Amino acid sequence: MKKEPEENMQWLVDVTQDAVDVPLCIDTMNPVAMEAGLKACRKRPLLNSASGKSDSKEQMLPLAKKYDCDVVISVMTDKGMPPDVDSKIESIMDTVAYANDMGIPNQDIWVDPILLPVSTAGEGQRFAVVCLEFMNILDDVLPEIKSTVGLSNVSNGVPAELRPHLNRTYLVMLERNGLYSAIADPLDKELMGLIGGEMPGVVELIHKVMDGEDIDVSGLAQKESEYVKTARVLMGETLYSDAWLES
Amino acid sequence: MEYKAPVEAYAGVVREVTIGTGRKSLKIGGENILPLHFFDEGSNPNPARFALEIIDMQPPDWPKHAVEPFQDVISDPVKWARRCQDFAVDAVSLYLMSTDPAVKDAPADKAAALTREIAEGIDVPLIVYGSGDEVKDAEVLPRVAEVCEGMNLLIGPVLKENYEAVGKAIMDHGHTAIAQSPLDINLLKELNVKLGKFFPPERIVIDPLSSALGYGMEYSFSLIERVKQIGIITKDSMTMMPIIANLGGECWKAKQAKENKEQGLLWEGMTALSLLLAGANLLVLRHPESLSLTKETLEVK
Repeated sequence: MKKEPEENMQWLVDVTQDAVDVPLCIDTMNPVAMEAGLKACRKRPLLNSASGKSDSKEQMLPLAKKYDCDVVISVMTDKGMPPDVDSKIESIMDTVAYANDMGIPNQDIWVDPILLPVSTAGEGQRFAVVCLEFMNILDDVLPEIKSTVGLSNVSNGVPAELRPHLNRTYLVMLERNGLYSAIADPLDKELMGLIGGEMPGVVELIHKVMDGEDIDVSGLAQKESEYVKTARVLMGETLYSDAWLES
Repeated sequence: MEYKAPVEAYAGVVREVTIGTGRKSLKIGGENILPLHFFDEGSNPNPARFALEIIDMQPPDWPKHAVEPFQDVISDPVKWARRCQDFAVDAVSLYLMSTDPAVKDAPADKAAALTREIAEGIDVPLIVYGSGDEVKDAEVLPRVAEVCEGMNLLIGPVLKENYEAVGKAIMDHGHTAIAQSPLDINLLKELNVKLGKFFPPERIVIDPLSSALGYGMEYSFSLIERVKQIGIITKDSMTMMPIIANLGGECWKAKQAKENKEQGLLWEGMTALSLLLAGANLLVLRHPESLSLTKETLEVK
């Protein structure tokens, strides 16, 4: 990609849109490649991503305007990752206002709160809780705005066979708090089933954990009890360890 | 308006763990308040306890001022252990350094026999630390446990890599385990969960690894503090165990401690005092004078 960014991106976009008949989301940090990609798209694309960093404001946001496409804007700024809910909201409001001034309306913007691994000792669980709260108030401060997350980030660093538990549970939690979309694994049938309304009992249990209800897991089927334990970890109620399903 | 100090009451209780047997026994933990929070509702039935560390061989790199209090006994671990009792210790901690494959690779049988002789020769409970080599320890520590059957020694380190073999031997032969993980609360909890599947949690003591002042002590401090908070405030069963801070060896590795005696005593004393404030229940030091310095500081009301 580094040597011939334009040619490579154009090739990638072409083979992809020959294969599928849906809009594309183009994810690159390279503005030259990004422009080539946007130019090649037949359907209105999603630019992934811009942020509150100055180089992004100067190079990525104008592309979104120029090609009249939707754009993912993350909460990142020149100062780095805002650590708590207030600073995340403040930073996204600043960047969205900047984009609005350029003529990009809220309904074309997909906010990315940036998920971090829950297994990071000390801070990981706090970040998970912060993103849930952030999603909960996003619509109040920025009406009609869309949102997205890179879902599997939440389970980075976790043993591979355990990652889906976190991804699935967290998606249900984020969705309840207003998440509009997610970059996730559509081949995970259980994940798709959960979101598609095939497991209403499990969804209800996860919601109960979010509401602070005390649930006796001993009376639950194994799968249900695993979802409850996972939701408790993601709410910061029980300390994370790789053995979280076992205790 | 009259000021009324807030009083907290917490749900979690640190398990009370007994090491040793009969008149040679000692209780640690049992508190349901945060460290030194005597103003809150609850109590700490067992104040912090102290052990001095001895080594199963002539220590290779100790500065003169660290050797000094034990000069005449340092080549005989049995006598050295007895000498520790002159300094009002609550326990003696034996480090089986010679078994380390990188040191002398001494055989398990020899280490086990020596451990038994030392345990029988003192009037306080014995803590035993293997070399920390996960493979060799899986050979040495089970042998130690077997030879010292029923003496309820405090044996470790039980690691993620060898907890099944080492943990089972400690349990079957009637001892208490030191579960050790590398300065990470998630790993610490994971080990306790896994060990706790077959090992009684009231016989587990947590060793979160203790770093010396200037060499990462603040990491140990934060971790110990957090283990206590998670256990006592949020009642996480797998962190409600007492904590051992094995800090002597780390402190005397510091060049500041090696340089001169007074600096060494302060280095070890300050590290001990800090980790005690964080919530350590049992502290292992090397020098009798830093031990008395720490105790004196604590006793000043």
